[in-house]
Amino acid sequence: MTPEQSRAVFGRRQILRGAAILGAGAAAAACAGPGTVRGGSRGPASQATAPAPIGTGKVSGDLSFAHWRAEDKAVFDKIIADFAKANPGTTVRQDISPSNDYQSTALQKIKGGAIGDAFTAFRGAQFVDMAKAGLFLDLSAQTFADSYLPKMARGGKDANGRQLGLPYQLVFNMPIFNVDLFERAGASEVPQDWDGFLELCEKLKGRGVVPLAWPGGEPANAGQLFNSMVMNNQPSDTSCADIESGKAKVTDDWFITTLKQYAQLRPFVEPKATGTSSEPLQQMFATGKAAMLATGSFHMAPVRKLGAKFPIDLVAPITVSKDKVKYVGIHNATFILGVNSASKKQDAALKFLEYLSDPEVASVYANGTGQHLTLTGVEYTSRDLKATEPWLTKNTLLAPRFQFNDLDLRAAVENACTEVLGGKDPEQAAEAAQRVVDQRRRS
Amino acid sequence: MTLTSQRSRAADQSAETARTPRARIGLGPRRPARVNRPHPALFLFPVPALVLYVVFFAIPTVEAVRYAVTDWDGFSADYNDVGASNFTTIATADSLFHNALFNNIKFMLVVVVFQTLLSLMLAVFLVKNTKSSVFLRSVYFFPTILSSVSVAFIWKFVYDPNYGLANGVLGAVGLDGLKSAYLGDDNKAIYFVAATQVWFHVGQMMVIYVAGLQQIPAELYESAEVDGASRWQLFRHVTWPMVAPATAIVIAYTTVQSFKAFDLILGLGGNPPKPSLDILSTRIYAGFANSEFGYAAAESIVFMLVIALVTWLQRRAVRLSQGAA
Repeated sequence: MTPEQSRAVFGRRQILRGAAILGAGAAAAACAGPGTVRGGSRGPASQATAPAPIGTGKVSGDLSFAHWRAEDKAVFDKIIADFAKANPGTTVRQDISPSNDYQSTALQKIKGGAIGDAFTAFRGAQFVDMAKAGLFLDLSAQTFADSYLPKMARGGKDANGRQLGLPYQLVFNMPIFNVDLFERAGASEVPQDWDGFLELCEKLKGRGVVPLAWPGGEPANAGQLFNSMVMNNQPSDTSCADIESGKAKVTDDWFITTLKQYAQLRPFVEPKATGTSSEPLQQMFATGKAAMLATGSFHMAPVRKLGAKFPIDLVAPITVSKDKVKYVGIHNATFILGVNSASKKQDAALKFLEYLSDPEVASVYANGTGQHLTLTGVEYTSRDLKATEPWLTKNTLLAPRFQFNDLDLRAAVENACTEVLGGKDPEQAAEAAQRVVDQRRRS
Repeated sequence: MTLTSQRSRAADQSAETARTPRARIGLGPRRPARVNRPHPALFLFPVPALVLYVVFFAIPTVEAVRYAVTDWDGFSADYNDVGASNFTTIATADSLFHNALFNNIKFMLVVVVFQTLLSLMLAVFLVKNTKSSVFLRSVYFFPTILSSVSVAFIWKFVYDPNYGLANGVLGAVGLDGLKSAYLGDDNKAIYFVAATQVWFHVGQMMVIYVAGLQQIPAELYESAEVDGASRWQLFRHVTWPMVAPATAIVIAYTTVQSFKAFDLILGLGGNPPKPSLDILSTRIYAGFANSEFGYAAAESIVFMLVIALVTWLQRRAVRLSQGAA
């Protein structure tokens, strides 16, 4: 080696060797077991004790509030501005993802600490997984949790009865209808049984309107009709969970009956319904070309924005005879508010949840967004919310489709209904769905 | 050469060296110009790329392999090593994965064939740098600059059975019999998404072909014309073999694109999409969304192997067809 060569700090070989060592180190690091590369693990919330009620003391900090309701951003902005005024030194940033993305990725993002000092969860699989991952701070001791209707707050509890989250929104996942069109078709009251429902559909069709606008091209919204169709047919209130656990089958008589009733609806949905998404149907409903929109109360505000002037109410297809009716509708308590157990600003996040739980603030949110809420003392001033307020006390079933924790399994069962409405034989559709259910249960 | 002669030669060299000006002032002989030896600092230049590659490709790939043999749910501290069980399930007992693979192959075949042929055809017609050609190239390239979400949004309304443009046009020209549910027709839905994908990327592939065509020496065409070649013979025996590198790029790129048409499928078919629109990338995403990280990682590895296999087969096919030409 010449003196000059020896003076060179890095030669090609040294650099390549260094890169190889770095790569090998990185590969070795990657071989560490799951969980060890993600900032450690958090056990389930059961390991922590519930923090004491948030007092009247001063809080501060920059909070992230993770949710999926982009349509509520403006109302939340106003509420947040008032909250920041009442709590100087506190800001809240809304981290909003589209609902589908939120369903898929929120757990990882919130667990990673990137967002979500305060956050929301969908009822069902997401809430269960988030609880299992220990994301929720136990809210059992918080006095503001008492403002929620006990029946609705139950959806935010874990198996041990701890209040991990507070379901905020109360939606009715059942068709909305144009009251004027129903009256013109001679319906003085909503149908009380299956024959009455089909008869009404026939009359509506005779008047040249689409009786039931159903978004068969959009699985998430197509499945909302499933709730009403099974609510009275299912042998128990846990039948969907039973399908997942193997106690019930998609090929059972009650489900085949449900599928056959789906087949009876074929003439009453819009043409080529399996390819339609909800946006054009909102337009169809808002312009009086469809009498029912088979999604839910969450579409009342959007159709108003599209110019609908007629009175709107809710109707669930009753699939049994009058004497066998158990439920008259469907509700879901969702948008479950929670505080991140790993947040360093838990006090401020609790204060924010307390603020949202105040009936006056909740009323602003409810009327601004057109949503019923699960809180007591909320004053509904919006025309549609007032009109549908009686549904808060009716005998409605908690949406059964969210009993499925396996999303593929739920998709398979709901897709059977979609295929039948599209023309497939009910038995064949049920058998195909059951095959997927069996595979999912084995895996 | 003997040892004695070597010593004698070394001594001569030493004496010669001592006579040079550098030797007289105590310096060694000047080293020959280092024309073949770049400055060592140049080796630092690839470091940023190497770091990115290691962090965003090598580590995730190794992690995927590690997770693929576990039943990790994505958030728990505990997991079990399940060996090859995830791969066995994928191969033998996952009809959703098989359906997605089958859909993906149909999607890929349609996209690769039509996108390649259409882009080559457009490039052949628009290869000259006239004003109208340049304008039309820009028009055809335009969809490429749109985001997948925008494209999905546009085509969702084109395909809407009741208010959409496609059925509207068919109705207007009296072809009501051809009206379709498009994405709602389980037997054809994937082909309609493939048509959207072709519309989306054909301009991009056209540009690659235009660049390839402009590299072909004009003399080849002139001599073939002198020999009496027809237009088809010119294309088959000059253009097609000479655009082989461009074709290889277009086909490989289109294939990979077809397997990764994730956002377009979700935009058009919703999340999760119906089984008729499910492809491998959306199936893997569904696995992650379903908190089955271990299983989804195994699906990802199978996915990579499928892409590698298909790309290899295609490259061989292209080489053979162009060798024959």
